Amino acid sequence: MLEILRNMWRRKFRTILTIFGIVIGIFAFTVMGSMALKLNKMIDGGKRYITGQITISPKGADYMSGTTGMLPVDLLNKIKDVEGVEAVEGGVSLAVDEPDPDNPTAMSFGEPATIYSFDPNSNFKNKNWQTMDMKEGKLIDKSSAEDDISIGINIAMDKKWSVGDTVAIRGREFHVVGIFEKTMTGPDGYVFMNTNVARELFVGQNPFLKSLKDKSNEAAKISEKELAKLPVATRQQIVEAKSFKVEDVSTTASISWEDGVDPEVVVKRIKDEYKNDVIVYSPKEMGELIDKASATMNAVILGSALLALIVGLFSIVNTMLMSVSERTREIGIKKAIGASPRTIAIEYTLEAGVMGLVGGAIGMGVGVLVANIINNKMASKGAEIFLLEPSFLIIVVIFSFIIGIVAGFLPAIRASKLNVVDAIREL
Amino acid sequence: MNKIVFEAKNIHKSYRMSKRNIVQALSGVDIEVRQGDFVAIVGPSGCGKSTLMHILGLLDRPDEGILKIDGQDLSHLKEKKAYRIRAKKIGFIFQGFNLIPTLTAFENVLLAGKYGGMKLIDRKERATELLAILGLEDRMHHKPNELSGGQQQRVAIARALVNNPSLILADEPTGELDSKTSLEIMSILKKLNKDENKTFMIVTHNLEVAKECRRIVKMEDGRIVADSMRK
Ligand SMILES: Nc1ncnc2c1ncn2[C@@H]1O[C@H](COP(=O)(O)OP(=O)(O)OP(=O)(O)O)[C@@H](O)[C@H]1O
Ligand SMILES: [Mg+2]
Repeated sequence: MLEILRNMWRRKFRTILTIFGIVIGIFAFTVMGSMALKLNKMIDGGKRYITGQITISPKGADYMSGTTGMLPVDLLNKIKDVEGVEAVEGGVSLAVDEPDPDNPTAMSFGEPATIYSFDPNSNFKNKNWQTMDMKEGKLIDKSSAEDDISIGINIAMDKKWSVGDTVAIRGREFHVVGIFEKTMTGPDGYVFMNTNVARELFVGQNPFLKSLKDKSNEAAKISEKELAKLPVATRQQIVEAKSFKVEDVSTTASISWEDGVDPEVVVKRIKDEYKNDVIVYSPKEMGELIDKASATMNAVILGSALLALIVGLFSIVNTMLMSVSERTREIGIKKAIGASPRTIAIEYTLEAGVMGLVGGAIGMGVGVLVANIINNKMASKGAEIFLLEPSFLIIVVIFSFIIGIVAGFLPAIRASKLNVVDAIREL
Repeated sequence: MNKIVFEAKNIHKSYRMSKRNIVQALSGVDIEVRQGDFVAIVGPSGCGKSTLMHILGLLDRPDEGILKIDGQDLSHLKEKKAYRIRAKKIGFIFQGFNLIPTLTAFENVLLAGKYGGMKLIDRKERATELLAILGLEDRMHHKPNELSGGQQQRVAIARALVNNPSLILADEPTGELDSKTSLEIMSILKKLNKDENKTFMIVTHNLEVAKECRRIVKMEDGRIVADSMRK
């Protein structure tokens, strides 16, 4: 074993250069891999959530912006009666922070802090996400006041909010009653807020809805008696304005299905009946969509692994071939004094393996260091981009050892097949 | 008479350089080596001395002929198995650059013992003992490049002896040494031959070296032309 190290050290500069090549490859592998792992994990959490429910949004609105259409409460009530549907919960979501008027398109890496409406009285439950694990306090429930909120860990850290604090969101005061355990996914950046309050905030930030609501309030002041006195056209306008209800403001709705029912069948039933009113996102289709995205992530890992493999492999093969031809006579002598071809082959394979291992360990170490530094910088923004999983890091090092072994194979075979007489004659 | 340790009959060996150009290195060599022999092989350059040595040492295979070591017929020994017999029954000493440069004198000797299948304690004991006999107690843990040519050859001798081989083959062991050191090495070999009844076969150009040997085998053009005992 010691001899292997001594042999490597005979050509210090060359060995260092070779190892450096592997360090770069494995560094890239570690960093890219940790990034892909993080993204994969986020995707996975999202997938679990999304495949645990049927989501609908109003026709004509797209899922991402979601603000152009509404799901009236009547419609949601009708969907509740579709066979197989267990519960329907309409809701809204909006950014925690009002857009910066000076810089309205400012974006940050990671998910922006988002308010999600949460209805403690609804019996809707996502099939995969029964509850949130709490780091502190509790998830808002039936006993909570309307201005109680539960928040994700990133929000808590960014805004320095803790349980018991009274905080301001969009000009209203709220009480923090709970902080979720880190999920590495969306909820880390969520504020769960009572649906009624969330709807009010939502209406408040939407000029169209706001004017509708103001008109409705005005209209409400007009009594039936007064109304009867007005001309028909005006009367109709006021009746319409009166009919505006904040409960009608849902940009999206989550549907759960009864146990034992195939969700895809439920999706089909809703589609058949309400395809003119809503877009239905089936758990299966959404899951497949997400799988496609994570396949891309995995291609990134595999790609960087391949790159590391090729860079490392060739530099080791080259170095080892050089070493073998330099040590021709030495190998000849070893064979003359009774070394088996296997012994020789193992010796050279191991030497290459050790190069891979050393390069891999250093590359991984540097990768971890860099990823940690970046993570720490990003953590304050709630957007760590690397997931340093010990099992992955161990695999990286084993992988680089294997690269070394594989790279050493050809030179080792060449060494073991060396003709002794030729080797000894060569002086 | 002592028992025959090595026996070669009608050994032929040729090297095909091209279709028409075939070099006949050995053309019918017969030789017997007995326990305790101290043989010098002499002859002009290119007469086949090294080739014969390689065949006897199982480093190379003859095209034709019979080869026996300790009575065991090895004519058809597979290349892949030769190393075991080489490790246990044959010791080699070459001209120069004999030692593994990354290993100390002691480790060089140990390595041969390891290949010969000796246990670590035995190897260590034997290596220490041999290096002491060869006057290298204080040089045991030096690397080859920290040793003189003569010291290096002494380490090579110790290494050749560690497995207690039936035959020690030395190809120009003094080739790179001055005449005084050459004679020193020869007297060590002679002493080992006398005290421990070791069998040696030494290829040499040097007549002074050859004179030290009891039996002199003369080769010419791939054949043995004379085989005589001195005194
Ligand atoms: N690998 C080879 N290919 C071709 N010819 C070879 C090879 N090895 C040896 N020969 C030839 O075989 C003949 C015998 O060579 P060998 O090395 O045995 O001679 P030698 O007696 O040891 O010579 P020297 O005293 O110079 O060492 C020579 O003519 C040599 O050129
Ligand atoms: Mg020769």
